[in-house]
Amino acid sequence: MKTRTKFVIGGAVIFAVIAALSVQGLQEMTVFFYTPAEVLASPDEFENKTIRIGALVQKDSVEWDAQAIELSFKITEDSKNFIPVFYAGVKPDLFREGQGVVVEGKMKGQRFVAGQLLVKHSEEYTVETDHKKSKEDYYRSIQAQ
Amino acid sequence: MASMKKIILYLEWGSILGLLACGLWVFLKLPLESSQGFPQKIMYLHVPTFLSTYLAFFVVFTFSIAYLWKRELVFDQIAKASAEVGLVFCALLLATGAIWGRTTWGTYWVWDARLTTTLLLFLIFMGYFLLRMSVNDRDKEARLASVLGIIGCLDIPIIHKSVQWWRTLHQPSTLFKVESGAAKPSMPPELLYPLIASAVVMLVFYLYLLLLRLQTEKRRETLNQLLAEIQN
Repeated sequence: MKTRTKFVIGGAVIFAVIAALSVQGLQEMTVFFYTPAEVLASPDEFENKTIRIGALVQKDSVEWDAQAIELSFKITEDSKNFIPVFYAGVKPDLFREGQGVVVEGKMKGQRFVAGQLLVKHSEEYTVETDHKKSKEDYYRSIQAQ
Repeated sequence: MASMKKIILYLEWGSILGLLACGLWVFLKLPLESSQGFPQKIMYLHVPTFLSTYLAFFVVFTFSIAYLWKRELVFDQIAKASAEVGLVFCALLLATGAIWGRTTWGTYWVWDARLTTTLLLFLIFMGYFLLRMSVNDRDKEARLASVLGIIGCLDIPIIHKSVQWWRTLHQPSTLFKVESGAAKPSMPPELLYPLIASAVVMLVFYLYLLLLRLQTEKRRETLNQLLAEIQN
């Protein structure tokens, strides 16, 4: 095969991938996740469809069963619309109450059954005022694991 | 070009010492970030890398326009060198992002707007080099590459604004955060200053790679011309 033909084929493949990404990606990409309010507003549309919902973990709603490795919690973005989430899997390191999460799965009745749980961290960065203590705590916590 | 050699040497030592100093600063001196802890330190590689990627492709954009306007070969050589370095930085950006994403988000990759548009930039410039390699006529190569380079760089503002325009898993900008009209990076000074220092050092490193690559490119073309003369 001539070098030039190889490059043409290679170029065509790359542009095909770009085109496919743009068409398929644009829809998925522009709305990476729905909000609880949107999902609750039209339950029929989302029933049994794999979707992502992004929201915050409601305070005092987390139930972690370490034996069964099952996690239940409620998510909300406005403290008015809540969706209970069930996730059978390991709790991510950064998962905590008040944390932003993106869950992927399906609405099963009133409950959202998630197959994937992603933590969405904020753009805010802070440090503990007592640096030394937090550092020691951190190293102790990773040794304990 | 003795002075060019000297500049490259200064930039080389500047990057070596600078990167070393930043590494020591980040790992030995810096307090841990409250919510993420240790993994947040990859920010000092990820953020400077994206700034260098932006700059590299901005240089490609500028010199591609300059070439189409003035038709000076050296402008195309600068655009080419910068695109090569930019592509490496872009790969590094995707890699550091994936590692960081694994530890904080829980996944190496998602198809959200920020990540997808960044991958798009990488693919466009892979295509850019394929295009360059497939054209034998040097002037034609420069002309076509300049056009693709200009179009490809239009992805940069899209990448940058993606986190504001669309819902993404990637968080909005920390460094370029604006609150009521004024720039207000949302991180304490003890984390911010080393980040700025790392960014400056990474830009010095970019400049070093750019000039080194440009020098090689010039020599290569001179050699090619000489070879062509001998053969004729």
